[in-house]
Amino acid sequence: MLNSRLQGFRRLFNVSTLTFRLWNFTGTATVNLLLWAAILAYLSPLSYMFATALKTNSQLSDSLAPIYPATAMTYTFQGNSYDVYEVPTEGGVKQWALVNPSRKESEFIDPAHPDLGLIHWDGSWRSLHKAYRPSVTFNNFVTLWNNIDYPNHLRNSLIVVVLAELGVLCSSIAVAYGFARFRIPGGRFLFLLCIATIMIPDSITLVPSFVIFTRVLDWNGTFLPIIVPHFFGSAIYIFLLRQNFKTIPREMDEAAMLDGAGPLRTLLSIILPQAVPVVVTVALLQFFNIWNEMRMSSLYLSSALDLRTMPFTAQAFVSYGFTAEMLQASALILIIIPVLVLFTAQRFFMQDMVVTGIEK
Amino acid sequence: MQITKSGFSIREWLHRPRGHLTMRQREGLVGFLFLLPWVLGFVLLKAIPILAALVFSFTDFKMLDPENTKFIGLTNYINILRDTSAGSSLFGSIAVLVQAVPIELGVALGLAAVFSSARVRLKGLLRTFVFMPSVIPAIALFIIVFGLVSPGSGWIERLILDPLHLPPIANLFSIFPILLALWTIGPGFLIMYGAMQSVPPEVYEAARVDGAGPINRFFSITLPMISPAIFFSLVINMISSFGGVALLDRGLPFSQSLSPMESYINAQMFSYSKLGYASALAWIMFIVVMVITLAVFRSAKYWVHFPEEEDNVEF
Repeated sequence: MLNSRLQGFRRLFNVSTLTFRLWNFTGTATVNLLLWAAILAYLSPLSYMFATALKTNSQLSDSLAPIYPATAMTYTFQGNSYDVYEVPTEGGVKQWALVNPSRKESEFIDPAHPDLGLIHWDGSWRSLHKAYRPSVTFNNFVTLWNNIDYPNHLRNSLIVVVLAELGVLCSSIAVAYGFARFRIPGGRFLFLLCIATIMIPDSITLVPSFVIFTRVLDWNGTFLPIIVPHFFGSAIYIFLLRQNFKTIPREMDEAAMLDGAGPLRTLLSIILPQAVPVVVTVALLQFFNIWNEMRMSSLYLSSALDLRTMPFTAQAFVSYGFTAEMLQASALILIIIPVLVLFTAQRFFMQDMVVTGIEK
Repeated sequence: MQITKSGFSIREWLHRPRGHLTMRQREGLVGFLFLLPWVLGFVLLKAIPILAALVFSFTDFKMLDPENTKFIGLTNYINILRDTSAGSSLFGSIAVLVQAVPIELGVALGLAAVFSSARVRLKGLLRTFVFMPSVIPAIALFIIVFGLVSPGSGWIERLILDPLHLPPIANLFSIFPILLALWTIGPGFLIMYGAMQSVPPEVYEAARVDGAGPINRFFSITLPMISPAIFFSLVINMISSFGGVALLDRGLPFSQSLSPMESYINAQMFSYSKLGYASALAWIMFIVVMVITLAVFRSAKYWVHFPEEEDNVEF
């Protein structure tokens, strides 16, 4: 498509094939470079997280330290350890170790030539920057692992994710099938009502459901208030699945019905095999939603801290006001799993958002 | 398929063989059984709580003292009218919506248009990169953005403001909703990009023959053709900024909700345990959300070009 258009241009302006190819290549390269630059800028906050998570606390407390993970250089001279500074001299900036600091003048030693002895330097050493060399530390992760019961949080997350997935998939698929294939009295009204429930803000149902779950059912401090609602289906998934099921030709399930298959059997053996991509998409959306879920858990598990899911591993640090590098390390641990899942499943996910993108 | 002409008719019902259901009735019954999970969920998790909230809103229901609940009429609603922080939190919520939704839609639409170019290579990988921030848990996002804007060591100050000798932003946290909105474009981007892919290439070809340039083609073909997708993205972004359940939900804990109205309701509920007052506030919010949603849906007929289909859902 692009090529035919360019051919037209070429004939119109009578340029040589080479010039034309060059121009075409330049255009493609520019578009791609700009896009890569934009996406790198877009993701740049993540690099802050990575860089900070790999830093030591002492680097962070030095406001003049470089932004990449690094350690302050030291030099051991005659059994003592001295800090190395970036010292401006006539011969350029030198990395010298500070031996005798004093207010107006100081004595340094050059780690490259210790045999030259102490070097006298006029100026305030406090105005000097410390010399750093790149180095990463994984100690933050070790500290986190020792302080937080990650296996327990992970186990809780897995329980909630597996059960909520199971619940939402079974119920939403059944309901979507009902909406897509059966002539139900008032079915259209029910479907519109179902879509309308997507718009209902959480706050309105929050107080009464809280009263029901804690006072009536006494489910406070269990996974039940978080998991059970998913067994009633989710309106937006029902919508996505129903739209997809409608694109599957009816002739196929009618043929199955004639062969004696009941509705459930038709759903399982005719509809579902053809709707694998959309089911995977819904399963992934549900995974991200449940993995990140904190609203309900923070409400109902406040008395059962050992049942809390993965996101709370990071929240603990926010509340206790931990240092920046610990916070970033805990955030890094938290995002690894959703990002890995996204990259593993991207083929399905991206393809099917395209399918469901043909919206009605 | 005609759902509207319902299968249930009195005549069929009267003439049915005794003890048997007609095919149509059977179909309706079986179909309804499949809908049962959602119908039960609707009644138990939506309808009853919403009505219960309405009842609570006329009482002075307190969490710690449920026995002494009294019916106090419209007192809660009158108090809301007097409560300036309730009003400002409502307008704060609308301000967040007005700030975030155009960014989410505009950036997503622009990126989708660039991605549609035949020149872009490695589309699959780049798409995943664009989508990636949308699956990051809210708490991690909070930590990252918090670090990024923190005065002194934050990168916004060190890498952008200081080298350009710009004065520090007085309230760095005011850019928080903007950064957050930028990192929430994933679903809208995928939906609109998908819609752009499904525009038949012949339409573009025809416009090109008629001499329409790329910009012209974008505005007079792409935008109208994908308007249902834009509408869908608008709706899901709107819902999520009001704290509803959208396609992708990051799930902020209650203590850190970004919607001022929602945090005000939560504070009334948990910090002061005034469930009656919180319910009245929630009802006000519910009405506001419904009015805005209705307005958006009403506006759809002026700018959304729904495909001509018999079984067309109002979406």
